[in-house]
Amino acid sequence: MASKKPDRDAVLDATDFLHREALALDERRFRDWLDHLTDDIRYIVPLRVTREGQADWEVSPTSRIFDDDKQTLTLRVERLETDFAWAEQPPSRTRHYVTNVVADPGEREGELLVSSNCLIYRSRGDSVEPNLYSIARKDTVRRVDGGLLLARRYAVLDQSVINGHNLSILL
Amino acid sequence: MATKPIGAGVEAGLESIRDGIAQGRFPARVFNDQEIFDIEQQRVFSKAWCFLAHESEIPDRGDYVTRYIANNNLIVARDESGEIHASLNMCRHRGNMMCKSEMGNASHFRCSYHGWVYKNSGELVGVPYMKEGYEGRIDKRDWGLIKVRTQTYAGLVFGTLDPDAPPLDEYLGGFQFYLDLYLKQGNSGSEVHGPPDHWVTETDWKIAAENFSGDGYHTPVAHQFGFNLGYFASSGATHSQGWAASIPGKGHGIGLGHTPGFPPFAGFPEELADEMRRSLSPEQVEVFSQTRTAVGTVFPNLSFLMQPFSIVPGQTGVRFVTMRLYHPIGPGKTEMYSWCLVPKDASDEYKQEAYRAYTLTFAQAGTFEQDDLENWARVTRSAGSTMARNIEFPYVMGMDSVRDPDFPGPGHVVKPYVNDSNFRNLWSRWSDYMTGQV
Ligand code: FES
Ligand SMILES: [Fe+2]
Repeated sequence: MASKKPDRDAVLDATDFLHREALALDERRFRDWLDHLTDDIRYIVPLRVTREGQADWEVSPTSRIFDDDKQTLTLRVERLETDFAWAEQPPSRTRHYVTNVVADPGEREGELLVSSNCLIYRSRGDSVEPNLYSIARKDTVRRVDGGLLLARRYAVLDQSVINGHNLSILL
Repeated sequence: MATKPIGAGVEAGLESIRDGIAQGRFPARVFNDQEIFDIEQQRVFSKAWCFLAHESEIPDRGDYVTRYIANNNLIVARDESGEIHASLNMCRHRGNMMCKSEMGNASHFRCSYHGWVYKNSGELVGVPYMKEGYEGRIDKRDWGLIKVRTQTYAGLVFGTLDPDAPPLDEYLGGFQFYLDLYLKQGNSGSEVHGPPDHWVTETDWKIAAENFSGDGYHTPVAHQFGFNLGYFASSGATHSQGWAASIPGKGHGIGLGHTPGFPPFAGFPEELADEMRRSLSPEQVEVFSQTRTAVGTVFPNLSFLMQPFSIVPGQTGVRFVTMRLYHPIGPGKTEMYSWCLVPKDASDEYKQEAYRAYTLTFAQAGTFEQDDLENWARVTRSAGSTMARNIEFPYVMGMDSVRDPDFPGPGHVVKPYVNDSNFRNLWSRWSDYMTGQV
């Protein structure tokens, strides 16, 4: 549990960081997006499972939709730069709505634990039905050389059965 | 189960589809058609052996998962003596759903409507107001949950709604030889890494089933990025060399990709490869040691893929296995379940590595899965158009290919794995069911 509240500036900085990071994704500046990540990033999207109220977990401890590090996230971005990333050809239009930002001191000096809600609107082609992904994020944001970088993303979708025919976007 | 009478025109249409397959033709519309879907529910999914769960998903007494055969929701549970039962997830009193979770653990299920209580084996054991209300008119033995017949093979639990279906062994008809590659990785076999990815796709189950029954043809194009960036243990030119094996008259098929010079069992940890050399038959060892990619479908809707993948370009990487179930929820609409199978005996480190390779490539956000689904969604959309009603596709690749006499595995085995022979076998089996021959 957090020992003391981080100062207001730190919270504002973290919020600003998340907004800029989301903007890079929505503007499809994927190389810029990679620059928002530390080299030791862990990027995890676990699976949610519908279970009874008394069950010991609802978010699977073992099953993951994304289980990435800097190398594999870079691979995903390199892939998008080829002419053969058919799933994003033509590209999805995404809009990340980041709200309810709560920042607490992280485990290490210079780190913040940032919880946020993220709603992603995704439109593809001429389809009139968008995909909506509602996500609870628990990020670790680290201060490096005066700026902030994302060191860990743990993003849990609110749906247990996902209604998008593929997940070719970043959350 | 009674077959719904349908119009003579439809029956004649199904017969002509059946005839067309023998000549290498199959109509587009079957991949997105309400009438075909309705008949499939009755004639295919009510009669075939359908995959329900892997035993390792319910390892302990009381563990259960809920799954479907056609639109029937089933509880697949391990009872207090360790036996597995599949029961319709519907209370016998007024039909309330018993389990509302995807998985859990319970010795008993208590209905939330009027309180009837069943054991996890399906037996009815508790009825409120038994004496005062029913005055002895209810015999609990008559009102257990409706049972579905199950049988297992190497950890796979199948169920059938047809009490007269032949035994599972006969249904698989020799395909076990190939399934062992996925299911008997080492002495203790394979296990699921966790609950399955579960998502809804704009895809007809048949498109996915066909692709996974050995479509070596699409890989160099649909998954070109993998070759382009050097992440594949083969090249576009060599990827689809190898064999297409199918079990005639059963519908099952597998593509076995082989790259010349690819080291035997490459991508498996050494100890595991040694175990497999000892525990599999000499014929299986011969086939599997030279298999780079194995992609197969058990008729109707269970598929597997094994493939080495490295996140470092140019390296062999690790073998991962994906197992998927295509649950049809409408014409052109499928609920996907996708598991990663890992060798039970392997180190945690290897399991983690294999699982990460799976998520990066074939989980729902996987770089290969994404592109497959993009293509399949477009195929589905095209197949539903009015013009497509009269359009047929060519299934003539390898029409006259003869069985490779040197291949030690069972079934009809031809070279190369760019071949429609598995698909003709798949759709001819499908037609057998659709025309009521099974
Ligand atoms: S519906 Fe289950 S007890 Fe009445
Ligand atoms: Fe594919």
